[in-house]
Amino acid sequence: MLDVCDLSVSYGTIRAVRGISFTVGKGELVSLLGANGAGKSSTIKAIAGALKTSGGAVTLEGKDITSANPEQVIRAGLATVPETRDVFPDLTVAENLMLGAYIHRRDHAGNRENLDRLHTLFPRLAERASQAAGTLSGGEQQMLVIARALMARPSVLLLDEPSLGLAPAIVERIFEMIETLKKSGLTILLVEQNVNQALAVADRAYVMRLGAIVASGTADGIRSTSDLSAHYLGG
Amino acid sequence: MAFAIQFLIDVLSLGGAYALMALGLVIIYGILRLVNFAYGELIMVAGYTMFLTSGSGLPWLLMAVLAVAMAVVFGILTDYVAFRPVRAKSVTAVLITSFAFSNLLQNAALLFISPRPRNVPLPDIFSQTVSIGGAITPVRNLITIAASIVLLAAVAFLMRKTTLGIAMRAAATNFTMARMLGVPANLIISSAFALSGFLAGVVGLLWIGRIGTVVPGVGLEPLLVAFIATVIGGMRSLPGAVVGGFLLALIDTTLNYTLSQDLLKFRDAFTFSLVILILLWRPEGLIKGPASGQRT
Amino acid sequence: MKQSYITALILIAVIAVIAVGSQMIGIRLYDRIATNLLISLVLVVGLQTFMGNSGLLSFAHIGFMGLGAYTSAVLTIPAQMKGMALPDLYEFMKVVEISPMLAMLAAGVVAALVAAVVAYPLMRLSDAAAVITSFALLVVLYTVMNNWSALTNGPRTLFGLPKTTEMPIAAIVAAIVVVVALAFKESRTGKLLRASREDEVAAAALGANIPHLRWRAFILAAFIAGIGGALWGHFITSFAPKAFYLKETFLIITMLVIGGANTVTGAVAGTVLITVAYEGLRGTEAALNAGSSGSGQVIGLTEIVLALAMIAVMIVRPGGLFPNREIGHILTRSRRKKEKTA
Repeated sequence: MLDVCDLSVSYGTIRAVRGISFTVGKGELVSLLGANGAGKSSTIKAIAGALKTSGGAVTLEGKDITSANPEQVIRAGLATVPETRDVFPDLTVAENLMLGAYIHRRDHAGNRENLDRLHTLFPRLAERASQAAGTLSGGEQQMLVIARALMARPSVLLLDEPSLGLAPAIVERIFEMIETLKKSGLTILLVEQNVNQALAVADRAYVMRLGAIVASGTADGIRSTSDLSAHYLGG
Repeated sequence: MAFAIQFLIDVLSLGGAYALMALGLVIIYGILRLVNFAYGELIMVAGYTMFLTSGSGLPWLLMAVLAVAMAVVFGILTDYVAFRPVRAKSVTAVLITSFAFSNLLQNAALLFISPRPRNVPLPDIFSQTVSIGGAITPVRNLITIAASIVLLAAVAFLMRKTTLGIAMRAAATNFTMARMLGVPANLIISSAFALSGFLAGVVGLLWIGRIGTVVPGVGLEPLLVAFIATVIGGMRSLPGAVVGGFLLALIDTTLNYTLSQDLLKFRDAFTFSLVILILLWRPEGLIKGPASGQRT
Repeated sequence: MKQSYITALILIAVIAVIAVGSQMIGIRLYDRIATNLLISLVLVVGLQTFMGNSGLLSFAHIGFMGLGAYTSAVLTIPAQMKGMALPDLYEFMKVVEISPMLAMLAAGVVAALVAAVVAYPLMRLSDAAAVITSFALLVVLYTVMNNWSALTNGPRTLFGLPKTTEMPIAAIVAAIVVVVALAFKESRTGKLLRASREDEVAAAALGANIPHLRWRAFILAAFIAGIGGALWGHFITSFAPKAFYLKETFLIITMLVIGGANTVTGAVAGTVLITVAYEGLRGTEAALNAGSSGSGQVIGLTEIVLALAMIAVMIVRPGGLFPNREIGHILTRSRRKKEKTA
């Protein structure tokens, strides 16, 4: 489904991502783990088209999206939820969701149907439809960005640190929801620092350190690797 | 009573024009972080289009439509000449190119038309006056008020109710995120410049309608007005720009009625000192704009 | 440091060549153009001390030039002429008449003082707020010059300044200004300012008070602009406030930006290049006007070409001709490279 091959990202002379390769199969939930500064977010941004790659290739369902800009990436079927939880704070919740469906803006019936489905998944968002998104709590904003990404009806969802800075109870809810999405058949790439939670929902995982992939395998396999914490603490 | 009506009409008609000027500038700044120095020249373009078509025998309304269309075309041209090629480089580069483009257009008018004022055709109604509650007022003031109400409502509708408008507001706070949802950057940028040109075109007709002539430097005063109103209204907020326009009109009209001729000459110095003071007190302007924001 | 000396020597040599060369040709027109060039050089290098080090665009520079020109005018116009030139001048100033050299210094001091007072709070601002305030400052200065009739004769032309700016004086002042600009660039203030432009946080961590540093640079720039204004005033001998407004602002910004705002070399190169282009284009305009007897004047062509050049430079080479290295640096580097390869 999503194939990343030998991807590199550089900021000037600093190489943040050094030729990494991984795949996410259809319907799979793959987790990309690593400490702060391991190059996870650069990887996500490069895939999403928000950052220029300096080498390698990214293909989505066989289509090359390596040098695609963000507009083209979403049209190819890959939606990104950035770690910065970028709601449009001055727009209402409903307007945020409406923009999520920008690429389907002529398909009113389809959008309505999708919106109803998401409203059952996130009832909170239905209640706050006409409220400015900036007034939502952190957890609600996270729900909104995920729901907004789903309005594009993507075939692959990139989730960058969805639990970052949220209270434990809310993190719990977010992961429950990720599990629900996975069960609905959505292909997900989940980037997390929260190793235990991520491995609990993931099928497979890759561990990044200093811009390279240092371990990979099934979630259970990774969990049993004894030096996992070393990768983290060694950051 | 007549004086109060007179004062009110003066403030509203001047304020309507100022608000439209400020709105056209702030649309570009809010979304693209570009202080467009060539904005005033869009007003000039509208004026010269009227002058150039005046001999054609076209009905006035058609000429006016053409004039606004030309302002839109030049607005989009500003994007292609001054903004797009350098937007990835630096804020200063964009400022310099827009300043250069402004000079380019002004001097093109000097070279190809004339440094001297040129007459702009106006329908008779622009020079008529009516009496409202004892106050004699030019009809064009009422036209300006009506036009600004219609346009402000239209812009509000565009920004609140249409997908394009909502996407533009979204892009104003977070351009990258908007693109990640599939909103094409170029569409947003071109729409912003086109809308800015449209507002400049209409305000150009109203503004030039007050004097009846157009000169190459006609855009400077509207540009300065837009600067002040924008700063008063909060740099990046569209409603703020409108409020700023009306407030400035209130200040200007009051000064016009109260200051002596000697001091009135310094009016620009007063209002611009006010701008500097406001920016010192609140660098983002009086009214807070959209929360965050980064350049493309 | 050594490279700065080489840069200074080369730039002074350029100034000397312009000065001596134009004298040797012996055509009055060239003498005028060259003197004008050197005065522009003072202004552009002055603007460079602020823009090049702080990275902020300033539109107000020409306003300070105007302050300098008017200060020097008020101080030097002969007492017996003052009644005519400045009929509304305050009584106690009517008798003042000092030497133009002293007046030039006073012009710089007045411009610097005004800059110090008005600019201190402004230096906190960046981005659009900084640009709009500097633009607003230009408008305020212009409006004041245009209307403070007692001191400036209002929008009317002020005449009667003694013509004391000759080529050698312009050349000497230009050379001094170049040295000052280079020294400022290498000073602690200059270095910290340039560091702050790359990374505000890091520079602040080094203990740099950025607004204060910018303020110093701004005052220096205004001081040089004031001197330049006086120099120009005593060259042209009569002028009106509109000489210190947008057209001239555009011209000096063009010179600096095309040459490269970050380097003194760029400021000098831009001034020379644009002056030559400007005079060439103006000559063409004049020739066209003479040819097309009466059928419309050709004006604005020069500015159009300059504006196009400026846009082209920003697209192709946004740093200008000398984007970050001074000429001395470039030369020593290329020599070292040669030595290495040899």
